[in-house]
Amino acid sequence: MTDEIRFEHISMEFPGVLANDDISLSIRNGEVFALVGENGAGKSTLMNILYGINTPTAGNLYVRGEKVTDFSPKAAIDRGIGMVHQHFMLVPSFTVAQNIVLGREPKNAGVLFDNKKAEKLTRELVKEYGLEVDPSAEVRDISVGLQQRVEILKTLYRGADILILDEPTAVLTPQETDELFEVIRRIVREKEMTVIIITHKLYEVMAISDRVGVMRQGKLVGVENTCDVDEKKLASMMVGRPVLFDHLEKTGTPGDVAIEVDDLYVADNRGLPAVRGVSLSVRKGEVLGIAAIEGNGQSELLEAITGMRKINRGHVTVCGTDATGKTPGEIRALGLSHVPEDRLSTGVDKVASVSDNLLVGKQKEKRFNLFGFHQRRSTVDRYAEELYEKFDIRGAGIHTEVGSMSGGNMQKVVVAREFSFDTPVLVISQPTRGVDIGAMEFFHTRIIEQRNAGAAILLSSADLDEVFRLSDRIITLYEGKITGEFKADEITKEEIGLYMTGTGEGAKA
Amino acid sequence: MKKRFDYGYLIALVISLSVALLIGAGIIAITGRSPLRAYGALIDGVFSSWRHIGDTLEYAMVLCLCGLACDVGSRAGIFNVGGEGQLLLGALVASRIGTLMDGVTPWLAIPCAILGAVAVGGFYAFIPGILKVKLKVNEVITTIMMNSIAVFLCVYFAKGPWKNSVNAEGIIVPEAYRFTTLIRSSNLSTAIIISAVLTFLVWYILQKTTKGYEMRLTGDNPRFARFAGIKADRLVIAAMVVSGMMCGLVGMFRVYGAERIFKTTAVSNEYYFEGLMVAMIAQYQPLPTIIISLIFAILKIGAMGMQSVGVPIQIYWILQTVVIFCMAGEKGIRAAIRKAREKRAAERDVLARREGGTANE
Repeated sequence: MTDEIRFEHISMEFPGVLANDDISLSIRNGEVFALVGENGAGKSTLMNILYGINTPTAGNLYVRGEKVTDFSPKAAIDRGIGMVHQHFMLVPSFTVAQNIVLGREPKNAGVLFDNKKAEKLTRELVKEYGLEVDPSAEVRDISVGLQQRVEILKTLYRGADILILDEPTAVLTPQETDELFEVIRRIVREKEMTVIIITHKLYEVMAISDRVGVMRQGKLVGVENTCDVDEKKLASMMVGRPVLFDHLEKTGTPGDVAIEVDDLYVADNRGLPAVRGVSLSVRKGEVLGIAAIEGNGQSELLEAITGMRKINRGHVTVCGTDATGKTPGEIRALGLSHVPEDRLSTGVDKVASVSDNLLVGKQKEKRFNLFGFHQRRSTVDRYAEELYEKFDIRGAGIHTEVGSMSGGNMQKVVVAREFSFDTPVLVISQPTRGVDIGAMEFFHTRIIEQRNAGAAILLSSADLDEVFRLSDRIITLYEGKITGEFKADEITKEEIGLYMTGTGEGAKA
Repeated sequence: MKKRFDYGYLIALVISLSVALLIGAGIIAITGRSPLRAYGALIDGVFSSWRHIGDTLEYAMVLCLCGLACDVGSRAGIFNVGGEGQLLLGALVASRIGTLMDGVTPWLAIPCAILGAVAVGGFYAFIPGILKVKLKVNEVITTIMMNSIAVFLCVYFAKGPWKNSVNAEGIIVPEAYRFTTLIRSSNLSTAIIISAVLTFLVWYILQKTTKGYEMRLTGDNPRFARFAGIKADRLVIAAMVVSGMMCGLVGMFRVYGAERIFKTTAVSNEYYFEGLMVAMIAQYQPLPTIIISLIFAILKIGAMGMQSVGVPIQIYWILQTVVIFCMAGEKGIRAAIRKAREKRAAERDVLARREGGTANE
């Protein structure tokens, strides 16, 4: 095997940030190379240099022995480099074939778009690489897994033989992930392509890659043969200290029912039915996890329970009191706290300080008010300082604007505030989305602490591992209906995956 | 909140004012007059006599109260463009109450006039407020339309049924009820004392109280406020009503203090819109609103002085427009300053790392 790509002392500097610091790395022809690291470690920056989006401030890049001098995506594509971004760049109303040829369309008589030829070319590609997909289907009608396949086909159509995949499995079910890995193995084996995969799911690194590079704080801290390392070793390389991941001790026995949902019907933003007849209950001292692919009603369900969305039919009971149709404030008063799915739009006031954000919900408490109306700033700041320490929030202090903080720290602000209410009920949505491994560990420990202290927790997460790690019981949602309920230790991820796609045994989808 | 004083804003304001004065000077020079003499006349126009100082203060008071009224709404996330209508209706009702109660002791009549003005201003703001909250009707559109309704209502009543006599030009406020003039033959009256108290109160409520804090969160992110259990809808309506009440009160001050007679165009010549400009330049912050009101009042009264050397009053509008234009770029100016500073810091950082060998973590 020869060096396909060589980074030589590459540094990339943005104002105030050294995103890549003196990185030297060779990637071999025909291998699957995994690049792992926490958020902000510089993985994407490095790949953006390879794809021509960034021009490095120092160092050289060689592709197939040739020094790269012109950094632009167009030049990179000409060099045979293809990149599939985390968020797909497809036109939903176009067919698969139209999306694939977009930018290099076959033409009739030199002017008119030749749809027949586009579909023919697509079919040829599909056959050649074995990536099954219907060329005439509209992209909006196909599953996320297939959309990703279209993205890969698009790069192949443009002649890529080096493929960069940025967090490719973030939106996939376990089955789809397996299929993707199958595809990767095949194109590497049969077409001798080189695949670079950016990820932070370590078991995937173990499953698919030949070699792995670990990045931390802009530096490449190690390159290893995958067979020589294990997940624990990789995690500690990423974080820079040992990560104790299987240390969540669940204690106590479930108590009374604290959340009761009865035959709930909720609509989504377009007014279409999103939750269709869901009933569930959560007891004190247990975590009920919701496993579902995005867009199957889990967001609307949690919003309805917490009062953020209108309930069309059915009932929600929180701590024994009917909460149906109440405002979020009234439901909070019943003893519920809520870590919302989208922290930027719902969980914080971006332009307010950390201190102001931590206070929300407690602002009327006596200790923060003099004469019942004057806000005691010094008491507020002292209180904020306390939470800041306790939840290990890192930033420029309690007067920082929350919007300027990293995703993980912003989430810590939200979690610190919501957990500080010490309510018997917690509704938690996507607790670690966009959060790095170190912080993830922290959130998981906190959630289990609350559970062991007797809180009833309803959890929804796109990260199936997280659902498994934290939950006592798991329900699967598909198209707004519950398709299964399981004890977390009595089912595997693969089985759950079937229920999440409505094909599980006895599913009534 | 311990926030360092915002020098960036002050610098941008000084730059804007300087640019405005320079452009003004250029235009004055083009029309063949001496900019120095013109600006001299501007200063003279304000400070040469007590009367003009009084007029300037009164005008600053009007701008300041209108600007603060706008601040109150904006803080909770509702943009009151209808202050002009609220002001006019407040003035109309207050002057009508004055004529109706003629003969009653001022200790009763004046509070009644104030209450009437405040009530009608608040009510007139309540309508767009509740429409926004309940039906999501854009308040900018409703308030602008309601301004027109208010103007025509005022013209009708002042020239029609509520006119004191056939020969009167409008609704005359009885002599006994007028605010005491503080500087002889100027517009400045004791209303400025109430205004000062009110200004302090608004600043205090917005900056120092728990309600002000809740308003700020609601204005910044209404979804978050609702999520956190703040009664956001109610706050938005309340802020709008208070804004309208303040505008109504300004109308009452205009007729009972400066004008003494209700004639639509004299009571307010789009003064609320100037106050709104002030609030925008002040980025809806109370303290800058006060300062900028004073600056604009000086420019306006001074511009009248400039007429004595042949410079038309329209120069005031030019100056004001340029300041607004520059302040609109304030964020850009600030970002440019910050970027340059960060770049220097980054360069230093990299140098230090290279010299220091391995970076410490």
